[in-house]
Amino acid sequence: MHTYHEQLLEQVVQERSRLISRRRLLAGGASLVAGAAALSLTGPARIGIAPAFAQDKAPFKNDVEVLNYALTLEHLEHAFYRDGVGMFALGMDPFGMDIATRLMAVRDHEAAHVKTLTDVVTQLGGTPVTEATYDFGYTDANSFLMTAAALENTGVSAYDGAAQYLEDKGLLTAAGSIVAIEARHASYLNMVTGTDPFPEGFEQAKTPDEILKIAGQFIKS
Amino acid sequence: MQTIQQRTHGLVLDRLTVNRTGQVITLAAIGGAGFGRGIARAQDATPVDFEAPVDVINYALTLEHIENAFYMGVADFAGSDFEAIGFQAGVKDRLTAIGEHEQAHVDALTAVVKQLGGDPVKAGTYDFGYGNLQEFLQVAAALEGVGVAAYGGAAQYLIDEDDLLTAALTIHGVEARHASYLNVVNGTDPFPAAFEKPMTKAEVLEAAGPFIKSM
Repeated sequence: MHTYHEQLLEQVVQERSRLISRRRLLAGGASLVAGAAALSLTGPARIGIAPAFAQDKAPFKNDVEVLNYALTLEHLEHAFYRDGVGMFALGMDPFGMDIATRLMAVRDHEAAHVKTLTDVVTQLGGTPVTEATYDFGYTDANSFLMTAAALENTGVSAYDGAAQYLEDKGLLTAAGSIVAIEARHASYLNMVTGTDPFPEGFEQAKTPDEILKIAGQFIKS
Repeated sequence: MQTIQQRTHGLVLDRLTVNRTGQVITLAAIGGAGFGRGIARAQDATPVDFEAPVDVINYALTLEHIENAFYMGVADFAGSDFEAIGFQAGVKDRLTAIGEHEQAHVDALTAVVKQLGGDPVKAGTYDFGYGNLQEFLQVAAALEGVGVAAYGGAAQYLIDEDDLLTAALTIHGVEARHASYLNVVNGTDPFPAAFEKPMTKAEVLEAAGPFIKSM
């Protein structure tokens, strides 16, 4: 079933257009990257998330749809690192380690997430979503790293918001083993971009609609 | 008395030399009836389980108490102690922030257990065994690693409790952020694998047990 993915992509494209036009109206030259970072890093911590999820209907019909949602984001992350690591000299992190080397490991993790989620969706009889085309909008090392941080922080919020829709314990544990790695990546990338690696005591779980507003900025088709 | 290396290796590599039976008996007394029941099953080598959602939250709270107590030790080190081992004093501020998170987790989980009509576990007394800042940082990394693995292993028991699950995951992610940073501080890989390995309750209690003096 590709239905949800197609719907998701449609929403993404619409949302992206809306955001771009709004940004042009409001902020002129404000960068996509700064917008994404702000969206993913600000706002109150909340442990009681019920109001955010008071929606008319569940956003996912079954576990396959949840996993395809995760896979959509993993494709985005994987393509970002695969195509971007090596384009810029990224230098050393504050503890003297080579940032590009770390990001090659991150890239490999995202590739492993893509492969695993693709395999699981297939095993469950679903049709795994495939990679789309993206425009990440970075122009230099700094904006590349800022985009990486935004993607990772968004990934954590997406998994945290979607996990509750999984019905299978094994799949929930698997998703948990991925989101922890995304959080580890996010911590590192916040650090190398000069922001707080752990800005709040609680992650912000986000709804699929909230995620699409952020990730959609990067998806062309 | 174990050395700090033995302790941290025990946490990370599951090579504790502590007598398993003795450890289990000690830990069976902590955390109330929920823990006791879980331990009993662990002794039978059956999968660890929780009787009710409140037991999962109390299990998380037990670990958060350990972390929270541990980070109170940050205040014992001066910024100059960090500089003396080659770090910027700002690292201390990060550790202080982590301690504040652990306190927030304790407060939140305590409130949740009460809302669920349960009896929140209280802080015990602990012996973290570090003798200097470098050992403190190693223990910190080990504790955070276990914390992530514990949430990863226990989340499945909240699958029918959407709000509790989501709340637990929002803590889980922050523990993973701490773990990543502390690995960096210790000169190890912030994300050593593509998938986080969850730990069962028995594994977590065995790893954390050496730090617990009484509860």
